[in-house]
Parts: sequence; structure tokens; C-alpha cells
Amino acid sequence: MKASYVIIGAGISGCSIAYNLAKKGVKDIIVVEKHYLTAGATGRCGAGVRQQWGTEMNCRLAKASIDFFSIAKDELGYQGDIEFKQEGYLIVAVNEEEDKQFAKNVILQNSLGIPSRKITKEEAKEIVPHLNTDVILSATFCPTDGHLNPFTMTDAYYQAAKRLGVTFLFREEVKSIVVKNDKIEKVITTNHEIHTSNVINAAGGYAKEIGDMVNVAIPVYAERHEILVTEPVEKIQGPMVMSFGMNIYCQQVPHGSFLMGRSNPFEKPSHNIESSWQFLDEMAKTVCTLLPPIGNLRVIRQWAGSYNMSPDRQPIIGTTDLPGFYVACGFSGHGFMFAPMTGLLLSEIILGEPLTIDITDLHIDRFKTARDIVIEKSVV
Amino acid sequence: MMRIKEHPILDFSKERKIIRFTFNGQEVYGYEGDTIASALSALGVKEFSVSIKHKRPRGFYCAIGNCSSCHMIVDGVPNVKTCITLLKEGMKVETQTNKGELYDLK
Repeated sequence: MKASYVIIGAGISGCSIAYNLAKKGVKDIIVVEKHYLTAGATGRCGAGVRQQWGTEMNCRLAKASIDFFSIAKDELGYQGDIEFKQEGYLIVAVNEEEDKQFAKNVILQNSLGIPSRKITKEEAKEIVPHLNTDVILSATFCPTDGHLNPFTMTDAYYQAAKRLGVTFLFREEVKSIVVKNDKIEKVITTNHEIHTSNVINAAGGYAKEIGDMVNVAIPVYAERHEILVTEPVEKIQGPMVMSFGMNIYCQQVPHGSFLMGRSNPFEKPSHNIESSWQFLDEMAKTVCTLLPPIGNLRVIRQWAGSYNMSPDRQPIIGTTDLPGFYVACGFSGHGFMFAPMTGLLLSEIILGEPLTIDITDLHIDRFKTARDIVIEKSVV
Repeated sequence: MMRIKEHPILDFSKERKIIRFTFNGQEVYGYEGDTIASALSALGVKEFSVSIKHKRPRGFYCAIGNCSSCHMIVDGVPNVKTCITLLKEGMKVETQTNKGELYDLK
């Protein structure tokens, strides 16, 4: 078979890229997915979307993405419910350093049109009454941050892309990519040989392995991040509550369940996505400290997914040294919330259109040069 | 009453201690060894909770603490699995009609 572009990975990034390219009139796009729609990090993520970042680039990408999420249902003509809940993110500062940094972050965010504000712990308690203010100094709150259902949101992109003629191949793994004289010739999957000269790497946790197939070294690695969900109760929490210092994010979804996760600072790079009792133990302690009443809820299940970590915790989007080989990876745990811009901007790069947001700084070449890279610190 | 009184193998003849409790404010009783759900079931109560989305009646179903169908408010605590919770003297048992209010154990 033949394709103008082969996109590897049917998570939200791959689906968004496929949709945006197809919408701009590109024909014969094939998306190859090893498992099923949202099988990787997308279907495993906390699905929060926030604009409260520490770097200008992340702020811009996040804001534009949230603007899209708010109109996504109509824009994509989706019949289902993407469950977009826009009740903010409350990010608590638990030490002096965070308190100072957050004040700076808010100034940056406000300058970019993001309506975040620095608030006292008393004000934070008004927004989230079950918050334990004894363990925090202050907080920042952005009312337009929110949460979506990652399955239906990705399905919305998938359905729209299919209507525009995109072909999806599920349960097919890319085994190799044939390159001759610096030109991509074909993609060999478990079931097909797809003749193409363009490949887009949106393989999430496996982005490095895809890069290795064409000798493009992508400085990313997979890292397990665990998450759990509780039984549902009546709504008591509007915003996502987050702390970098305490290492927790916790959100009540519309169904009533609480989703929460934290990072393991000792996690080694790997494709392991098994659940651990250590996570359950640490997560329970952390949430009971910050949001004590949640300790009364039963845990329904826990699972894990891979972050695709980049050296500066910022995405890698754009062209590579190999003509026709594009990457959208290294999201470091934030691929879901940036997906609308990932798709739009990569399609603009591919088609040589003017960029809606200048993402030259997200090019893979930034790791080749000696100049300082800006590391995003606002990460759980 | 739905209790089995005679059985070819099991012996139900022995007198059991009566346990008094309230169901939706009404004073009722079961026997020692009952779970909350078995006592209610014996009293002919079929509706324990409601389904989350359509609020349809839910009753005694899996009886092993898995299905969440028997979640009730017991002594003010919601989402109690009444099918695996032993009945105790003076318990206040109420039908649950929502997902349960998150409570504070203080």
C-alpha cells in the first residue's frame, strides 16, 4: 500500500496530527498503531489541562490548546461527550522557593493572557474546602484550566480524521523503516509494507525506538508514572489540586471518582508499566496529608503509563536530520494537554505554512548546540 | 419473613439473639450473625441504593462485597457494603440515593 504520510501512534498526538493534516487537504494518510486507540500514555493519563507553566513556550502551547478544547466538540463535529470541565487548577506552594517562583510564573502567565492569580492559603481553602492549609504557604489558581475525558477526546479526533479520509491500522506494529540515500522508502509493519517518503513519529513512550529505526537519535526515554482512581462520591472538588513539592496531582472527575498520581523520583528509564504497592503507599500518605477527607475513599484501581521524557521536560516537535522524518515526542507527561497545538503546528511545519506559534525552540536541534536549554520545573 | 426455618442439613432451630436497629428511621430487628443486608432482605426490603446515572433502584446482588449495589448510609457513613458488614445493636441504616457525601472522620 501507499501513503503520503505514515503517522506512528494512535494516541491523541497522532490523531491530532492526522486530523490537522487531513483538514488541510492532505490525502492518503495512514496511522499505524501497535495496539488500539489511546492504548499508550493517552489512555493512561490524568487528563488535566493547565496553562500554569514556568516557561513561556509551555504557557503559549497550553493556552492555545485549551482554547481549542473549549470548542473541540463543535469543531470536530463530535456526537459524544468530551467531558470538558473548566474549573481550574489550584497549584499549592509548600515552601519559600515555590512561593517565590509561583509569583514569577503568574507574572509570566498573565503577560501571555492566562488568567492565573496568586492567592493566600485562606483563599485556596475557599476554593477547595477540604484542603489542609497547615501544609501550604500559598497557591496559584487559574480558573480556565481543566480536565477532559482522554478517551472521548481522542475519539473525537479519530472520528473527525476518519471522516476526512485518514486510514487507521490498529494491532499493527512498525517493525522497520527502510531508508535509502537519505530518503524514506517504506514502512514495514507486521501486516503491511507501506510505501511512503514521510513518517511522523508520535509513538509516545516508544519514540526513541522509532527514531533508532532510521538512525535519528532522539534524546528521550520512557519513564513509568503511576496513577489511581477511587470510588465515586458526590462532587466536592472543582479544580485539580497540584503540588510539585509534595509531588501530587488530584482531580475529581465528573463521574465522581478522584484521579491522583505522583512521580517516583527514583524511577529508572524503562518501558515497565506495572503497578506497585509502593506507589499506593506513598500516594495514600501524600493525599491524606494535603486533602485529608479523601483518605476515607476506597481505591478502585491503579495503573501506570509511560512519560516520554526529554532533557528539558519540553516537547520535541518538528523536522529532523532525515528529510521526511518528523517527530512529536518528549512531552514529559504533557502530551495530552498540548495535543491540539501539536497537531496544528506540526501540520504547519510539514506543509511549510506560517506557524500559529513559533516553536523553533522545540526543534530537536536544540540539544545539539551548546546554548543553555530552558528546563520546565513545573512538572509532577 | 423470608428466613429458612427448616432445612434438611443445617440446623436453624437454635434461638438467636435479636439485634435491634433502625432502617430509614423505623425500628426493626434482625438476628445475631446477620449482615445488614441479610437482615433487611429478611424484612422484605428490596431497595438499598440507586444507580448512579438513572437513579434506578438497586438491591441485594452479589452478596460478596464486589458489586456496590448494596451501598447504604450506616451511622452517617455512605457507601457501606451492607452485604459484608455485620449487623450491630443500634445501627442507623438508611437508603442511599446518591453517590455518597465525602465525610470527615474526626
